[in-house]
Amino acid sequence: MRLSKRQGKKLDFNMTPMIDVTFLLIIFFMTVNQMSRTNKEAIPLPSLAGSQDQSEGTLTINVDLAGAMIVSSRTVNMNELIALLTTAISDVGGEPGQVTIVVRAHRDGTCRTVNDIIRTLDKLQITRVRLAVESTP
Amino acid sequence: MKLTSRGHAAKLDLQMTSMIDVVFLLLIFFLVTSSFQKTERELDPAVKVERRAGARTTDLAPTVVDVARGAGGEFVYRLGGRELTSVGELTQVLVQFENKSDGAFVRAADQAPYAMAAGAIQACKEAHFSPVSYVPTEGTP
Repeated sequence: MRLSKRQGKKLDFNMTPMIDVTFLLIIFFMTVNQMSRTNKEAIPLPSLAGSQDQSEGTLTINVDLAGAMIVSSRTVNMNELIALLTTAISDVGGEPGQVTIVVRAHRDGTCRTVNDIIRTLDKLQITRVRLAVESTP
Repeated sequence: MKLTSRGHAAKLDLQMTSMIDVVFLLLIFFLVTSSFQKTERELDPAVKVERRAGARTTDLAPTVVDVARGAGGEFVYRLGGRELTSVGELTQVLVQFENKSDGAFVRAADQAPYAMAAGAIQACKEAHFSPVSYVPTEGTP
């Protein structure tokens, strides 16, 4: 008895759904990747080993070379930052200790803006502050 | 003359060439246009703000690293009477300290380079000081 028959067998790969799914995945990952970058400005950070892996903070404050503060792609002044921080505190049930702030400051900048941010955080009783660095191999 | 052994049996008709062309073109496009981000880590100093009222000396009794102008006018790491210029040197000196459980303070003036302040925190962390506190100061210390 002959079970398998090669004769007359026509292999027909339908590639269309595979290409559809592949493109959908590409678009999905591109979009997600873009969204995760909105909090992070293209700022060169100090090249240091750091003390721990980066974890997501409640609020990411970018400080550019000129000392401008950028939050979610928007340049903010100190009053606007205080408003954002107050909202962040309210969002975690009014506990400043639960708020984590990530400061991403330009490596060639001065400490002025970072110091101002830290003084403001101190006034709002926010103690969990992390300074982002660029990992060195 | 018989050229193929299978003859007319299996009839494979896959037009893969054009698809591979498109896939490679897309691959090259994304490779060229994408920018690779460097891996980020973080330093987690305790934050302390220097008060003008009297507690200054008691608050800052443990190891204090100042990012301040040295004798040459350039910013240096000032540790006691010593002036150090690099994070490596600072780490080497800090490692020799014994009172690491008392913590270390990094004081940086507004005019100090941020990279140096971050470097000082890194050096204290690498020397196993705990906690490491960052203290912003207004003038040059």
